[in-house]
Amino acid sequence: MPQHTGDFGAYGARGVKGSEAVARQLDTLAGGIATPVTTRRGLLARLHYLTRTEHARAAAREAGLTVTDRTLKAWLAGGRSPSRPNLERIETAYRAVRRHNVARYLLGRLNREGRGTRVELHPLNQSQVPRPRQRFVEFRTLNVRHWDAIVRAWTEGDLQALDDAWTDQIVDLGSQWGQYEYVTNVGFAA
Amino acid sequence: MTDFEAIDALLAGAREEAPLPPAGERRALREELNLSQAQVAQALGVGPSTVGGWEAGRDPSGEVRDKYAYFLEGARTKLAERATARPAGHEPPTAEDEEGGPQASPHDGDGDDGDDGEALHREQPCVLCGRPARHQVAGFPQHLDPGECGTAPTGESDARTGSESAGTVRVVPAGRRVRTADESPDPIREAVAAALAAHFGDVEAATAALVARAIPDAMALLDGTRRGGRYDIVAHPWIPDILRKQTARGPDRIWEARPKWARPELPTGRHQVTALDINGAYLSALKTHLPIGQLEHSSGFGHDRRRAGVHLITPPVWEHDAVLPNPLGNRDEPGPLWVTEPTLRLLLRLSGPKYALCDPPEIHESFTSGATENLLEKFRVALKEARERAIAEEDEVTVEYVKAMYSKFVSTMGESNYNRELYRPDWMHLIRSQAFANLWMKAYKAHEEGLVVVRAMGTDELHVLGEWRRVFPEGRGVSEVKVKDTYTVGCDTDPVAADEHGD
Repeated sequence: MPQHTGDFGAYGARGVKGSEAVARQLDTLAGGIATPVTTRRGLLARLHYLTRTEHARAAAREAGLTVTDRTLKAWLAGGRSPSRPNLERIETAYRAVRRHNVARYLLGRLNREGRGTRVELHPLNQSQVPRPRQRFVEFRTLNVRHWDAIVRAWTEGDLQALDDAWTDQIVDLGSQWGQYEYVTNVGFAA
Repeated sequence: MTDFEAIDALLAGAREEAPLPPAGERRALREELNLSQAQVAQALGVGPSTVGGWEAGRDPSGEVRDKYAYFLEGARTKLAERATARPAGHEPPTAEDEEGGPQASPHDGDGDDGDDGEALHREQPCVLCGRPARHQVAGFPQHLDPGECGTAPTGESDARTGSESAGTVRVVPAGRRVRTADESPDPIREAVAAALAAHFGDVEAATAALVARAIPDAMALLDGTRRGGRYDIVAHPWIPDILRKQTARGPDRIWEARPKWARPELPTGRHQVTALDINGAYLSALKTHLPIGQLEHSSGFGHDRRRAGVHLITPPVWEHDAVLPNPLGNRDEPGPLWVTEPTLRLLLRLSGPKYALCDPPEIHESFTSGATENLLEKFRVALKEARERAIAEEDEVTVEYVKAMYSKFVSTMGESNYNRELYRPDWMHLIRSQAFANLWMKAYKAHEEGLVVVRAMGTDELHVLGEWRRVFPEGRGVSEVKVKDTYTVGCDTDPVAADEHGD
């Protein structure tokens, strides 16, 4: 099965796209504010992060937080609170700026001056697949040396580019790589 | 022009073939020297049957022919020398000649220096024993006198009989091969030596530096000990929600059964309590049944001894709280709880016919994976040996370093930002629970041997009354205990007087 999966889950297999798991793990590694944006504490923390410097303000504006400085000031002072769509915008802007700020350091740690990072691929869950259709898919590990394209796509939030970059890496698994397009988990550290 | 140059080069390269003695003489020459066809063939780089063919009349050609001619010429010269020397009363061929060492090779007769070899200007290591030698034979530095040479004739017989002597080396298996024991690297010793050198022998600074890098060093040691192992260390498996922290700083839902127990009442009178400390509790606890891969959910199948993980159980009632701690620790909340494999195994053991201290626990559901006790075994043994050696040599730097390695390894193998290489909160809980279960078994042993257990607390602290030295050996090894504190409890006044005073 050396190609992309056509109709994933047709026989009951469960899993997520490998690239999605990678993005999730990169988000975990990037860290950030854990308190949700809906609480006052979480909101203030995000607004402070997005307005601390002129550079941060510009990045936030670019990431979609296109409100006036007066509104921001009112939000920070607590006179007004953002509407639900604006809360969502704050959250997306925060994630985007955070990713952008962290990417450089994350990339350095993942590439490790060319030594790369060991990645564990935990195969998809076949427990709901009828027995005759189950296949033996083993746990695999892979050393990924070039993270640049992956981290760039993740920073820009471009899912398609991330998927392509990730597929470029997992083809190194050999002819069975298609079995690892969907996984339960992708584990790596930075 | 180039054509003519090529032809010139060809003509210059062409030589006439080396002359060979007739076929019958070839065999005689070889047999006179007590050499087999196989020995000659090996030296010339051909098969033994090829040599047989040459002796039967075939003629070699090319480079091999030159070599064979050289061998035959050398053999003839050697035999001629022997024929002239023998009447003068020389010994028959020495051991070295028969061994097929460098002296027995045809170089002897090639006219450079005869048997004696060349003197060297500078001493160079002998190819046979490695010690400095002043002579060389055919380009190989070596001792000419077998008495000076450490190995030559004796090494072979020693290796065969296996007798102990300076000439043998200890070997250890390495994969499918063997290698010498001191060739295997000792990262702990090297790290300590490097740190001491870097801080110019300042013990405190070196210890601090080593403790600061204990986590990456422990991970490197773990990788080293798993090389060639049967199972891979799965460092980032999918983790069920019960093992995830509810909040950033909060705990997860696993109950590790940490003991925190004090005996409710003591007999009246004055007692001398000894607080004992179990050495290297977490180090010993690295030997436990650890799940290898990703945890899988199951419910209502009882306990499978080949798997390990975490289990949701309803604990049995504990009726011996007056004399022995509850193996479940001091749990206030009633009802089912998630416990780890060591706690469950301890409870199952205590409910068995041998102990019969409680009812068996009721297992509701489990997250388990195939388990092995040997996953961290080499890692544990490496650390234990380093610790024992350091204690024997009174090397406190190494003791502290090893302690930091195993304790930080255990405490950061879960969801810690200090160690992102390994993300196994299940292992962390299991290892800790194993340490607590080990402490419980020590308390039970003390109770069985007639000591009065006063307190069992933390990971490694046991307070007892009585003559504990006949139960636990004292020392610093991992199977021994050391005294943390001694104190007296109670008062000498008789209970009647105390009552009157109280009224």
